[in-house]
Amino acid sequence: MAIVLDRLSKSFGAQNIVDQVSLEIARGELFVLLGASGSGKSTILRLIAGLTQPTGGRIILNGRDVTALPPQQRGTGFVFQNYSIFRHMSVADNIEFGMMVQKVPKPEREDKRDELLDLVGLTGLGDRYANQLSGGQQQRVALARALAYEPNVLLLDEPFGALDVKIRERLRRTLKEIQGRLGITTILVTHDQEEALNVADRIGIIEHGHLLEVDRPEALYARPRSLFAATFLGTGTVLVGRALGGRAQFGDFSLPIPEEMPITEGSRALVLFRPEQVVLSSEKPDSDLPVIGRGTIIGQNFAGAARRLQLRLPRLKSTRQIAPPLPFGEEGLLVEAVVPAEVGLDGKDIWVGLRGWHILNHPKPRLLLYDAGAGPAATLNIGKHLMDRVNASATVLGVTDESEAGLDLIAALRSQKEVDLSRAVKCLRYGRPAEQIACEYAEALYEMVVVAVDYQHKTERDRLGETVHGVLAMTNAAVLVVKKEPEKYRRMLICTATGEAGKNNVRVGGRLARRLGIPSTLLHVASGSDSATRSALNHLHLASATLRAMDVSNNIHIRPAKNPVAGILAEAREGEYDLVVVGSHGPGSRPPFALEETTLRVLAEAAQPVLVVPAEEV
Amino acid sequence: MSQDVPDVPTAQTRHPSAIAPVGLLVLVLLPLLLMPLAAIFIFAFEGGFSTFITALKSPDAIFALRFSLFIAFSTAAVNAVLGTFAAYVLSKYRFPGEKPLGIVVNLPVAIPTVVVGTSLLLLWGPIGLLGIFLGKFGLEPMFTPFGVLLAHLFVTFPYMLGSVKPVLDELEATYEEAAYTMGASRWQTFRYVILPALRGGLFTGTLLTFAHSLGEFGATVLVSGNLRLRTQTAPLYIFAQFEAGNVANANAVAAVLAVLSFVIFFFLLQYTGGQGRRA
Repeated sequence: MAIVLDRLSKSFGAQNIVDQVSLEIARGELFVLLGASGSGKSTILRLIAGLTQPTGGRIILNGRDVTALPPQQRGTGFVFQNYSIFRHMSVADNIEFGMMVQKVPKPEREDKRDELLDLVGLTGLGDRYANQLSGGQQQRVALARALAYEPNVLLLDEPFGALDVKIRERLRRTLKEIQGRLGITTILVTHDQEEALNVADRIGIIEHGHLLEVDRPEALYARPRSLFAATFLGTGTVLVGRALGGRAQFGDFSLPIPEEMPITEGSRALVLFRPEQVVLSSEKPDSDLPVIGRGTIIGQNFAGAARRLQLRLPRLKSTRQIAPPLPFGEEGLLVEAVVPAEVGLDGKDIWVGLRGWHILNHPKPRLLLYDAGAGPAATLNIGKHLMDRVNASATVLGVTDESEAGLDLIAALRSQKEVDLSRAVKCLRYGRPAEQIACEYAEALYEMVVVAVDYQHKTERDRLGETVHGVLAMTNAAVLVVKKEPEKYRRMLICTATGEAGKNNVRVGGRLARRLGIPSTLLHVASGSDSATRSALNHLHLASATLRAMDVSNNIHIRPAKNPVAGILAEAREGEYDLVVVGSHGPGSRPPFALEETTLRVLAEAAQPVLVVPAEEV
Repeated sequence: MSQDVPDVPTAQTRHPSAIAPVGLLVLVLLPLLLMPLAAIFIFAFEGGFSTFITALKSPDAIFALRFSLFIAFSTAAVNAVLGTFAAYVLSKYRFPGEKPLGIVVNLPVAIPTVVVGTSLLLLWGPIGLLGIFLGKFGLEPMFTPFGVLLAHLFVTFPYMLGSVKPVLDELEATYEEAAYTMGASRWQTFRYVILPALRGGLFTGTLLTFAHSLGEFGATVLVSGNLRLRTQTAPLYIFAQFEAGNVANANAVAAVLAVLSFVIFFFLLQYTGGQGRRA
């Protein structure tokens, strides 16, 4: 193996930029690290080159452990996105620089330099300076410079990011060719999925510092294991249904689940199909292709050889669409298809079938349950209920500030008498609860955090307690604040306001309602004398459609009241609700302990558990 | 860029209404800048060329001019190293107290030079904190050329820093990192990659330092003790001759200083102008 990363980690404070990444790259391989910006992919490259020091793990290059070595002794060639050509040196001097500091004799240096100029297609431009070269030419110089002293591995950090499409394509080809000819082990970092599919021998997908999946481009495209990989690499439709009798059910149509797929009966099942796997016909196909339904073409893009179509289909029962993301208020099913450009299709009543698909192994939703150890076990009971009901996995977190009390706490967590939480992971942290919950959330990305109101530490003025305040201020998670646990889950109250923030309440609340299988009421509080405005009515109408698309039955309630808080509390008191959903602002717009007043008052005064949804998608 | 563009008069230069504001500017500048500058030369040559030469040939005048040049060169040389080092540290490292330090190193521009002189005397002088200690070893830095150099270093320090640091700030961090990955040591990186990129800043900083040192008066007058043939710089000589009523002597040296400053300024403009064209 040319490059071995062994549980490589890098964190800044509580933030894990790179989290336990292990990877083996064979000699001569062109490996692409693909991820969104901020995913930690560039940091991995810098760690390998020694430009950043890891906080854990080892780096082995060609069998040599280089973890503790300075960049000078690692023998890596590094190409930066901004080229970093030395401006006061000619192209020739730039290329010779590495050999010069390594005291390679002049004639040898010049031979090598000419050879490299030939290789990257810059013959005769050795006397130029950076400001006399185009971006593409500068990057070719950077590539030649990084190859000049014959490094063990070549590291490229978004090398073509700053170039325009045509040049990018040409350089990609040049790189692939040179890499193949020299047989040099290469890691290329990019956020461009097309680039990754194009050049890679293998692709590694990075998200939030985790290496999610590694495979050949073809395999990763056709059979991704994670939802992230499925939606990040290429386009396609992803639907969530339910596993029943060995088949994945999506309303009236079902697909067989492969035997090796460990999906338990009754749990969620995901299917991915790519645009080119969608078959369109104007008559009912008589072959035994699975048919999703009949749809209408709502948009087309002509792309030379092919035509991309967007179709709307009536929604499928007990099915939710994940990708492409439905616009707010969309009730139907949106499917993309690719057909040859010359195929003409009528706009309506088109049969949509599948010639291929891939059942995804979707991880269970993850819950983070915070338990203070003593006091009522409301969080644990709710957690247990959710685990059973939605087949979630949970982590029970205990936090203490003393090391001795930690043992007692962990013992208490283990022997939860009244609640059977044997399937949950137990975890102990030291410090202040709110901070530690925020850390745990940031590190492992839970779908929801469940916290109980701290009855021991609440005061007259602050009725929620420090922990609830802290968690709401420090995380951008959906936080379920529990008081006493409801006996049954029958109905959910979603309080929604107009605007982008109000949309997320509906989405996140709806997802929970769907999993719990309960109906919900959309509440709009009309304050003042006038009834609901036109924009509010429109918003409610779209919200209702959005919930229907998730297969959550719902009704709309408009309630006049003095102010939103009074309206929400009155509705929560009078209706038969077991869960209340309210919105808040994300941490970006809320400094610690400056939550929106409405949210805080509803939290403090409602009797039900309250789910606080951040304004941004989680 | 503009080199390649043929010389077409721009709209602004052709604009007729430019005459009024430009005329007003010249009118304001006339008594403020232009006439005083002319006065130096008119008075220097008032008694004829031979008087001018005689005035310059006095041992005091020759010493003052040579001493001033010597101090200016030394100051520029020491500050080139010191200022670059300070700029490098301030630009490349992030540390607590970075902001206050950044203010402190620029403070000499804001402090009146007489105050600088006083503070140096209070520290290094015969009754100063360090002065008493050094006195035990028979060292008296004040009222010596070394004292003058010290004062000049203090006063001119921000100029070098101010010319070099912005250039360093603009150099991407990846510049150095690229050199490291190619096997260059810290020193090699500095020598072959950073320093050449700093050439322009160093040149400007050196000229600025040199010019300021040549004309420094406030701090020098206190720190040097104004000892003729020992620590008397050209500006001090001019002042002393004026006080004594020898206006011709003062004017002769003043004219030489003015010419020197013009030459330096010419180079400075040439260089910065050239840079602007290349950018």
